[in-house]
Amino acid sequence: MTLATRLADAPLRENSKEPGVLQRAWINRADYLYVLPSIVVMLIVIAYPIYYTIELSFFTTPPSLQLRDKIFVGLDNYSLILTSDVFWRVTANTFIWTIVSTFAAFVLGLGTALALNHEFVGRGVLRAILIIPWVISAVAASYIWKWIYHSNFGVIGAVLVSLGITDRPPNFIDSVSTVLPSLIVVNVWREFPFAMIMLMAGLQTVPDQLLRAARVDGANAWQSFWHVTFPHLQGVSTVTILLLAVSNFNSFIIPWIMTGGGPSNASHIWITHIYELAFGRQRWGIASAYSVLLFIIMMTLGYFYVRALSGAERKDRG
Amino acid sequence: MAHVVLRNLVKTYGPHTAVNNVSLTVNDGEFVALVGPSGCGKTTTLNLVAGLIPITSGDISIGDRVVNDVDPKNRDIAMVFQNYALYPQKTVYKNLAFPLQMRRLPRDEIDRKVKEAARVLDMTHLLERKPRELSGGQQQRVALGRALVRDPAVFLMDEPLSNLDAKLRVQMRSEIKRFHQDLEATIIYVTHDQLEAVTMADKMAVMNGGFLQQYDSPAQVFNHPVNMFVASFIGSPAMSLIPLEASSANGRTVLTGEEGWSIELSPHNARKVERSTTKKVVLGARHSTIKLSTSPVPGAIPAKAYTVEPTGDITFVQALLSGAVVNISVPPTMPVAPDQPIWLEFDQERMHLFDGATEMALEAD
Amino acid sequence: MTSMPSNVATRPRKSIDGWRWVGRLFLALMLFYTAVPMIWMLITSIKSGFAAMQFPPQWWPNEPTLASYYKLLDPTSSVGNDFLRFFWNSLFVSVSTTILAVIVAVPAAYAFSRFDFPGRKFLFFTVLLRNMFPAVIFLVPLFILMRLLGLVNTHGSLVLTYLTFGLPLAIWLLKGFYDNIPHQLEQAARIDGASRFQAFILIVMPLSAPGIIATAIYSFIGAWNEYIFAYTFLNKNDQLTLPIGIQRFFSENTTDFPGLMAASFMMSVPVVVLFLLLQRYFVRALTEGAVKH
Repeated sequence: MTLATRLADAPLRENSKEPGVLQRAWINRADYLYVLPSIVVMLIVIAYPIYYTIELSFFTTPPSLQLRDKIFVGLDNYSLILTSDVFWRVTANTFIWTIVSTFAAFVLGLGTALALNHEFVGRGVLRAILIIPWVISAVAASYIWKWIYHSNFGVIGAVLVSLGITDRPPNFIDSVSTVLPSLIVVNVWREFPFAMIMLMAGLQTVPDQLLRAARVDGANAWQSFWHVTFPHLQGVSTVTILLLAVSNFNSFIIPWIMTGGGPSNASHIWITHIYELAFGRQRWGIASAYSVLLFIIMMTLGYFYVRALSGAERKDRG
Repeated sequence: MAHVVLRNLVKTYGPHTAVNNVSLTVNDGEFVALVGPSGCGKTTTLNLVAGLIPITSGDISIGDRVVNDVDPKNRDIAMVFQNYALYPQKTVYKNLAFPLQMRRLPRDEIDRKVKEAARVLDMTHLLERKPRELSGGQQQRVALGRALVRDPAVFLMDEPLSNLDAKLRVQMRSEIKRFHQDLEATIIYVTHDQLEAVTMADKMAVMNGGFLQQYDSPAQVFNHPVNMFVASFIGSPAMSLIPLEASSANGRTVLTGEEGWSIELSPHNARKVERSTTKKVVLGARHSTIKLSTSPVPGAIPAKAYTVEPTGDITFVQALLSGAVVNISVPPTMPVAPDQPIWLEFDQERMHLFDGATEMALEAD
Repeated sequence: MTSMPSNVATRPRKSIDGWRWVGRLFLALMLFYTAVPMIWMLITSIKSGFAAMQFPPQWWPNEPTLASYYKLLDPTSSVGNDFLRFFWNSLFVSVSTTILAVIVAVPAAYAFSRFDFPGRKFLFFTVLLRNMFPAVIFLVPLFILMRLLGLVNTHGSLVLTYLTFGLPLAIWLLKGFYDNIPHQLEQAARIDGASRFQAFILIVMPLSAPGIIATAIYSFIGAWNEYIFAYTFLNKNDQLTLPIGIQRFFSENTTDFPGLMAASFMMSVPVVVLFLLLQRYFVRALTEGAVKH
C-alpha cells in the first residue's frame, strides 16, 4: 500500500474497527510478561477448581467409595438440596447473617469515622485501638468471645446477674434463639473497623471549601452532612458495603469455631454447611452442587461489585 | 550535534489521527519550535522523535541514521518535560548523574561533568537538595542540566516553561535562547505559546489538527501566513479576519462588506483575487496596519468603537465589521470611547487576502 | 428580653456542639465494645485455671500469674514445644507468602497501571472477581491438586494458596500507587538511557516503596490469620500453623481458658505490633485502591 492511499484511507477508517485484537496482542506481547506470573498462578489455583466443582456436582460419592469412583446422578443433587428443609434454614440464616452484619458494620464504621473526623487529643491512639479487632485473627477473636459468652463463667452473664437483670447467666451460644445474633455481634466487632478505615479515607476527599460554603449558606451540621458529606461518600460506601457483603457471605471461621453450626443448625450458614457436608460427611457431590448454587448467587452479586468498582474507576479517571 | 528529518510521519490512535503526514527538516544547530493549540499533535510529534511512542508510518532520521525502531536510550537525545520529571527520590546531583550512570561512564568523569553542568547553570549550591526542596525555576534549571550533561545530538523540550509564573518565564526564555547560542545545539521545542516560538526559534512549525500548516522562519510565518489558521494563531492580539464579497467591473476589483461599504483593491491585490475563482474573500489585517480616525475620511470605512482597552503604551480598539471583530491599535493619546463613530482605512501593502472557501492565502503569482 | 439576640447568634454553634457530644458518647461506647473483650482476654490470661472458673468471676485476679505464658514459651514442656513450633511454622509460611506476593504482584500491578494491551481491563476484573469466591469452594479440588503436586502436608501448599488468594487485593492496592506516579518519570529515564525494565527497577520501584510495604503487611497478616486451608491441608502435628494448633490445643484442654487466652494474645502480638508500626502505609494503601482522590 502506498503512503498516498494510506492517507486517503485515513478518514474512512474512523468508522471501521481498530487493528485486530491478535495483531495488537502481538504488538504488545512484551507487556504480558508482567502479568503472566499472576495469570499462571490464578489459572492453576482458581480455574481448575471451578471446573472440578461443577463436574462433581453431577455425581454422588458414597463414603464407601474412593473419590474417583463417583457415580453420575445428573441433577439429583440439586433437586435434593432445593427440597430439603435444612437448605432453606441455612439460606435464611445466611441472609440474616450477611445483611445484618453488613448493615451494622457499615453504620458503626460510618459513625466512628464521622466522630473521628476532627482533631482532638488522643485521636490517633483511639483510632489504632478501634482498628485492632480487624487485624487480629478470627480464630483468636472467636475464642475470646466464646469465653466471654461462656454459659457458666462468661463475663457478660456475670455482669447481667450482678446487676440483677437475670437470675442466672443466659446461654448466648447454646440456645437456638440467641446464637445467631450473638455470633453477629462478634462478626461486627471484627468488621466495623474496615468500614471505618474506608470511610475515613472517603471523608478526606470531601472538599473543605464546600463544607465552609454550606456553613456560609446557613446549613446546620445535619444539613451539611446530608447535602455535602454524604454525596461525596457514595462511591466509597458502595464499594465498602459490597466488600463487606461478599466477605460476610463467605464467612466461616466465627460460626465454625464458636458453635460448629449448632445448636440444631441454628447458626449454620452456607459455607459452614458445605464444609460439614464435604469434609464431615464426605458427601462431595451434594457439597459441590451447593457450591455451584453459591457461585450463581455470587456471580449476581459480582456483577454489581464489578459495576460499582468500575464506576469508581471511571470517576477518578474523569 | 545533528540534523533531524521527519518524512511523512503518521501516528494514529485507533480511528484518531494525531499526526498526519508531517515532513520537516531541522538543520544542525537549529532551534525549531513546534507550535499550535492543544491537541494539534505537537507533543505527539515530539514523543515520536523521542521514541517514547511507536510511529504508525513514515521515517524519522537523527543525524544520518533512520531511528524508527531505535530505543529512546539509543537515539542520542535529551528531553526536558513540562513538569520537569525530576526523580523525586534522588538529589539534584544524582538526577544529573543518572543519564551518565546509565551510559556506564567512569565515576570521576560523571563527577566532573555533573559539576561542570551545575557551574554552567549556576546551581552548584543546590546539588545536595531533593527536587521538592527547589522552586519551580530551580527545578526547571535542573531539568535543563540533566539534558545538558549528556551532550546529546538533539535536545527535545516539551513546553518547559509553561509551569512557571509569567516573570520567571520571560527570564528562562532568554536563558534557553542563550543556552542554544552557546552550545549551537539542535533543539526541537514544543509550545502552545506563539510568543515563545516567535521570540526564541530560528524556525517555527505551526501545527493544527495533526497537520503541519507552515514551516518557516518566524518573520516569514508572521508576514506571510499560508492560511487563515496560521494568520489568526500567530501574533497577539490575533489578526482580524473579515469575510467579504469580491466583485469586478470595468477593470476595478472591489470587496464589499455586509454593511454595504466597499474597498477598491490595489492592482497587486486585485490580481490575487482575479487569479482565484472564488467570490468569498477574507481580508486579514493586523492591528497595526489599520488606520483609525475619529472624524470622517474620504474612502474610509465607517464603524463604531465597541470596546476600548488601554494597555499603557498602546490602546486597543475593537470594532465590528461584516460580523467580524476587528482589532486596531491607536496611540494612548487618541481620544476614543465605546460607541463612538470611527473611520477605518486598511493598508493595501500589508493586508492579507484569503480564499473564504479553502482558507488558503491568495497569491498574486 | 436581652437574651434573645445572643440566643440567635449562638444557635449554630450549639447544634454543632450537640453533635460533637453525640460523637464523643458514641466513640466511648465503641471503645468499650472494642476494648473490653481484649482486656478480658488479658485479665483471664493472668489467672490460674482455678481462678478463671469461678462465679461470680474475679474482676481482677486475686493472685495474678504469668504461668500460662511460661508454659507456652517453655521449649522443654510438650505444650511449649508445640506452641513454639506452631509459631515458627506460621512465621515461615507468612514470610514466604509475603516475599512471593511482592515479587508477583509488583510487575502485575505495574502492568495494569501502565500498559494498554488487549484484555488489560478484562484481566484486572478477573483478578478482582477472585475476591468473590469463598475459599470452601476451592477446598476439595485444591486438596486434590495439592496431592497431585505432592504438596499435601507441606507448607508449600499453604504458600501457594495464600499467594493466589492474596494477589487480587495486593495487585489492586499497588495499582493505586503506580497510578499516582507520573509517566514522565519513566519517559525521562528511558531517554536518559534506561531500558523500560531499568526505568521500572531504578525509578518506579523506589517510589512505590510505601505501596510495597503495605502489600507486604497485608499479605503477612492474611497468611498469619488464615484458618480454613491450613485446617484442611495439614494434619501432621509438626506442620500446623498457629490458628489450627491453638484449636487443637483447646480441643484437648477444654477448660484451660487462661492458657487459651494467653495463646490468643501471643498469636495476636506479631500482627498487631506490625500493624501499629506500619499502619499509615497499610491504611493509605487500602484506601488508595478503593477511594483515591
